[in-house]
Order: sequence, then C-alpha cells, then structure tokens
Amino acid sequence: MEEGEIVPAPEAARRRDGFACRMHTTSAHALETSGLTKRFGDRTAVRDVDLRVPRGAAFGYLGPNGAGKTTLIRMLLGLTPATSGSMRLLGLPVPERRAEALARVGAIVEAPCFHGHLTGRENLRVVAAARGREAVARIDGALEQVGLSARADDRVATYSLGMRQRLGIARCLLADPELLILDEPMNGLDPAGIQEFRGFVRSFVEQGRTIVLSSHLLDEVEKTCDHVAIVDRGSVVAQGSIAELRGDGGHVVLVEVDEPARARSLLAAHPAVARALDHGSAITVELRDGVAAVPDLNRRLVEAGIAVLRLEPQQASLEQRFLEITTRLENAA
Amino acid sequence: MTALTFALPSPRLVGADLLKLRKRRGLVAVVSLLTIGAVTLTYAIMELLHVSDPAKHGPAGGIEKLGHGTFLIAALGSVAAALVGSSAGAGDLDTGVYRDLVVTGRSRVSLYLSRIPAGLGFLLPFVAAAYALAAVAATVFAAALPQPGVRLMALGGLWALLEVTFYFLLSLAIACLVGSRSYTIGIVLAFRLALTPLLAAVSPLGVVRELVPGVALQDLQPAGFGDSLREGPHVGMSVAAIAAVLVVWTILALLAGGFRDTTRDV
Repeated sequence: MEEGEIVPAPEAARRRDGFACRMHTTSAHALETSGLTKRFGDRTAVRDVDLRVPRGAAFGYLGPNGAGKTTLIRMLLGLTPATSGSMRLLGLPVPERRAEALARVGAIVEAPCFHGHLTGRENLRVVAAARGREAVARIDGALEQVGLSARADDRVATYSLGMRQRLGIARCLLADPELLILDEPMNGLDPAGIQEFRGFVRSFVEQGRTIVLSSHLLDEVEKTCDHVAIVDRGSVVAQGSIAELRGDGGHVVLVEVDEPARARSLLAAHPAVARALDHGSAITVELRDGVAAVPDLNRRLVEAGIAVLRLEPQQASLEQRFLEITTRLENAA
Repeated sequence: MTALTFALPSPRLVGADLLKLRKRRGLVAVVSLLTIGAVTLTYAIMELLHVSDPAKHGPAGGIEKLGHGTFLIAALGSVAAALVGSSAGAGDLDTGVYRDLVVTGRSRVSLYLSRIPAGLGFLLPFVAAAYALAAVAATVFAAALPQPGVRLMALGGLWALLEVTFYFLLSLAIACLVGSRSYTIGIVLAFRLALTPLLAAVSPLGVVRELVPGVALQDLQPAGFGDSLREGPHVGMSVAAIAAVLVVWTILALLAGGFRDTTRDV
C-alpha cells in the first residue's frame, strides 16, 4: 500500500463514545518535515526543522516565546509559504496536496477567532460550509462533545475565553480530524480550563487522533503529551518521547544516610560515580553508565557500617532537561 | 476543469457569507436607512410640502421626481455598497476568521468569489425595494404631472442597480486589497463623493475624464430623466466606451483584490 493512499476506516481505530477517528490515510507519521526553513528577510524564524510526529499520540512542540512555533504551524497549514524544505501531513505532500490533507486536519492557530455577532452554532456553520456537507452534519455532535450545546445559540461575543477555546475545538472536530494542530491552546485559560483542555487532548488521543500542541508551558506539555520536540531559536534541539527526554531511569541517584560526609567520600571513590554532591543529610550521586551500579553502591555503604535510609534513582523533569539543553546551547553560542 | 470547479463557490459557502452580513444588525439598520429609509423620508417630505402648500411645492410624483429619487438611491446606495463591500471583503480578516477558513483546505479563490454573490444578494434587495418605493410614489403622487412609463422606470432601476453593483465590487476588491473595513469605506467614499465630481468638473482633462467610472456611469443614465440625475457636466461617451471603462475597472479591481486575498500571509 502506497504511503498517503486513501483507505477505508480500520475498525481498530473505533474506540470509546462512538467518536473514534476514522483513518483515511496510511502513513507511519501524522506529520513529517524535512529541512523546513522560513526566513523573513535576514531573520530565520524556522531553521532546518526535521520533525516526525507518530500517529495516535499527543506531540508537544515546546519552546520559549519567539522560538518559531507559530511560524512552523502556519507553514504546515499553508498560511505562509516555506522558504525551503518539505512537509507531509498525514502522508500527503504539502503544499502539493494541501487541500486533500487539510480536509482531515483541524487547527487552532494562536487564539481561536470567531464572528462575535454570530452564535456559536452559526460560526460552526460558516466553517462547515467551507468544509462540505459532512461537516454540516457534525455540528451538533461537535457542540455536544465540547459541552457547548446549551450555549450554542448565544452570540459568541458573550462567551468566555474558555468557551471560545471549546468552540475552537468544536470547529476542529467538524473535519473529523486525524490530526489536530493546536497553537498555544492553554494561553489565558484558568487552572480549571487547563485541566479541562488536557482532558480533551487525552480523549482525542484515545479516539485515535494525533495531536500536535505547541506551547511554552513545560509543565503542561509534560502532563499532556507523549512525545515532544524542544525548539530553540527556530531549531529543534531535542526530540523524542517524554520519557526519553526526561531521561527516566537516568543517571542520578539520591542517597540518604546517617553519616553523609563519610558516605560522600566513599561514593566519590567508586569507579561508576562521576560526581557525588553533599546536600547535608542527602547526597546526589551522578553515575557514569546508568543505574546498574546502584546495588553495588548500596552494598559498599552497608559494609562500611553506614545506615542507608534512602536510595532512589531521580527522574529529571522536562523542565530540568529543557534548561540543561538550552543552557548548553547558550554556552556554546 | 477540476481546479475550476473547486474554485467555484458552493451555494452553502455563499449562504454562509450571506449569513455573516445579514446577522450584522448595525449593517442591516444602516443599509435600510440609506436605501428604503431615505426614499420613504424624501417622498414623505415632498408630499407633505405639496399638501401643505401646493402653489409653492409641486407634487411628489412624476418623471422628474423619480429622477431625483433615482439619483438619491444611486448616491446613498453607493455609500451602502461601500459599507457592505468592505464588510464582505474584510470581515473575515478583521475578525481573524479568514485563517480558520483557509485551514479547511478550501480554495482561497472559492472563498474570495463566494463573497460577490453573497454581498450582492444582501445589498441589491434593499436597493430594489427602495427603487420600487420611489417608482410607486412617482406614480401615485404624480397628480397632474406626466407619470413615468414602465420602460423609463425599468431603465432607472437598472441604472441605480448598476451603479450600486459597481461600487460594491470596487469596495469588495479594495477591502481584500487593504484588509481593513474602515480604510475601504474612506477610500471608496472619497472616490465616489469627492474625487469623481471633482474630476468630472475639470473640463481641461477632456476625454481623460471618460476613464473615471463615475463619469461613465453618469453618461449611462436614462435620457428620459433629463438632467435630474446629473452631478456634473456631460462628458459624452459612447455606450461601448462606458461599458469598456466599467468592465476594465471592475476586472482590474477584482483581480487585484483576489490576488492579494489568495496570496496574503494569514
């Protein structure tokens, strides 16, 4: 089967609530870019970006403000042309087969915008008219799924930001999208709104959809996404699953003992230990080759008569990794 | 063929654009006022003046008064056209919704073209209703004056519709070009109400004035109304020249607006 070929919906994709996503295209990746670059005059906003977004996952595009996240999304959606490089959405080359690809893509770019003088339902009618007959039939279901049925006939000018965000998602659902691209979707939302939004994202992933979510909020990406690409000054500097990037089962072990000073000297002398830092009652031990040496460290401490109160491999947060990567780049620059 | 079909706006898309316009309560109110309201008020005042002092004020009806009414509809109708054209052309951009329409994958040409029938479908019924009112008033209040014939009434109506249609298309194109409703209204009104009469009055310009669409439209006015529609001096153009000027202006404006609309970064 050729990549990008249109095929009937696999039943496996049908999951809960009858809102399963119907797969129309086959491709290992929902989104791929290669050498994607965008220049505005002398300034390079997006530099040589290679992305691979696996299907059926939530993918975070994480970076500080001004890193080129929105520009990348605008290129993917055909809102601005790329200077160089190639893109594939749902296996289809863009911009060559843009219309075909976007028919199965829902997107919110920056803030969700609507005609304030129209009702929520009318706003969806406007976009559904551009999408086609099937989209019109999905309006009620989409409103229901985001919990806006009761306010659907009120003018959007009276909606809160959270409601507009939900209406934006309902608008995406009109396409029955295989891929949702959401640009900074949590901006301006209160904690309840953020939690609700996270719930939407996870439920869409359960339905078999792929979510690409750009954000500068590390914590939110970590909580919401399965995979992440870290972008800095237009370039992707790291990419992989959240677990990979955090370095789960990593190289740092926290040790709590009754004699920290003696334990630190003993641990620092061990060939597997790169560094041992004393923090009062606890010692942070950086290992050279993973956590395989931990049992041996424990045995040596016990044999030396030191009481081990705690011995725990540390899970680095995405924030730590992000700061490590960006700091390293800054130092190198 | 496929590309052309895809570019053509579907009736549903036209309906959506029409919905955006007719749900703007302010726009509906102002357009009603500029067309039906203005005609109703004008004829009501003329008839009241006639009834109060028949010796000083002639009847509100008749051919000449229909000419005045037609002039009024064309002038205020072109103001309404600027409002509707700018809303139709730049409404989606102003609100930021254009981006969301583009990401549906729908051809931008199709999104652009759908605004034309939608805008005309919104605007022309107001103009037609206003003219129908004027025609009825011209007949009913004619008293001893000669009543306008059906042919003259039809020509007057078509002329008013043509003028309003032209300024609507111009406004739509300019709105797509500049991407702003307010700038468009300013540009079109300055062009229609200030620049056109000024250029028409500058006789040293001679035949060059024929290139001004307002001058061409004036030369196309039905002869049966005499000079009641005239805003400036008669330039004297052939129908072919008038048609050429209007068609070229319309096509160039729509092409420029369409090109900008379909290629802009959003």
